[in-house]
Amino acid sequence: MSQQWARLPERGTPLMLRLIRWIALHIGRPVGRALLYPITLYFLLTAPAARRGSQRFLRRALGREPGWWGVFRHIHCFAATILDRVYFLTGRLQPFDIEIFGDSLIVEQAASGQGCVLLGSHLGSFEALRAIGVTLRHFPIKILMNTGHNQDITGFLNALNPALAQAIIPIGGPDTLLRVQESVAQGSMVGVLGDRVIADERTVRVRFFDRETVFPAGPLLLAALVGCPVILFFGLYRGGHRYEIHFERLAERIALDRPRRQEQLAVWVQRYADRLEHYARLAPYNWFNFYDYWEEEA
Amino acid sequence: MEALSPFELEVARLLVETLHLEDIQPEDITPEEPLFGEGLGLDSIDALELALAISKTYGFQLRSEDKDNRRIFASLRALSQHIAQQRTR
Repeated sequence: MSQQWARLPERGTPLMLRLIRWIALHIGRPVGRALLYPITLYFLLTAPAARRGSQRFLRRALGREPGWWGVFRHIHCFAATILDRVYFLTGRLQPFDIEIFGDSLIVEQAASGQGCVLLGSHLGSFEALRAIGVTLRHFPIKILMNTGHNQDITGFLNALNPALAQAIIPIGGPDTLLRVQESVAQGSMVGVLGDRVIADERTVRVRFFDRETVFPAGPLLLAALVGCPVILFFGLYRGGHRYEIHFERLAERIALDRPRRQEQLAVWVQRYADRLEHYARLAPYNWFNFYDYWEEEA
Repeated sequence: MEALSPFELEVARLLVETLHLEDIQPEDITPEEPLFGEGLGLDSIDALELALAISKTYGFQLRSEDKDNRRIFASLRALSQHIAQQRTR
């Protein structure tokens, strides 16, 4: 399971990504959006593992067989957000209508000067958060991210905005989380995605869409050790030029007793999984984990 | 097996207690063995907990900017030497 998810970006990088980036920068969004259809079709036909991942997820989220059209729509939604990331990253926000829910929460948190963990997911576009939070409002946001894989979509797109790239805390080395702790202590909001298990990291069993799976334990364990608030964010793509960013408070502080740490932590991770499921039902085509999420393929 | 110095044993005890390494005795840790990945198999969450415990016990902060962190966290011996140099209590 560990490296499965890496297949999609790897496969997507040379063709889909380069093409989308080039079109976005040189031709423009209307033509780019028209070209997303053949690009999506190509991807649909040539990436069977992603196709199966999509079917599996949509079946659960929609409660029916998604069919080819459903999977097409799913991949198209993903491709559309990649196209838009190019605009978000280069600060071209004029074409977009971004509606923010729970805005006072994040504004007050930033005004307090106290750091926090911003816990997101691979549902929708976290770039929408960076566009609003970093580019427009200059919130002190840093992103904890796996950059080791140089073909990763994010690494590839980050080249577009070196200033944003500097606000990334790369995962790797024993002192990574020490850096997170220092950043939070200095008032940074540290963004981390909590829905994908990487390699042999610590996990917690949760129920997600009425079925057991594993979520990473790291983000919330980190927040507990650092002793800071946790705010959830979901950046949903709603079609056309519309995005929604939702902020919710998960915890003012996560307190864990050492002997019961794992079970107490599981309660918090389950709460995150429940909110993620809520938003994933609201916007199922925003689910960008195109792999065997519940590990059903033996 | 190579014996631990008294201070290395003290740091080994802190490590085992802080991280609740239930199946490891402090005196059984090999001083040159890697703490992370191979060897003891600690991860970056352990490193953070350990850094917080070291700061509480010995009165100084391990810093992420320190270019020597890989060396400092490399083994019990390296970590103990660093603590011995930096401690304020």
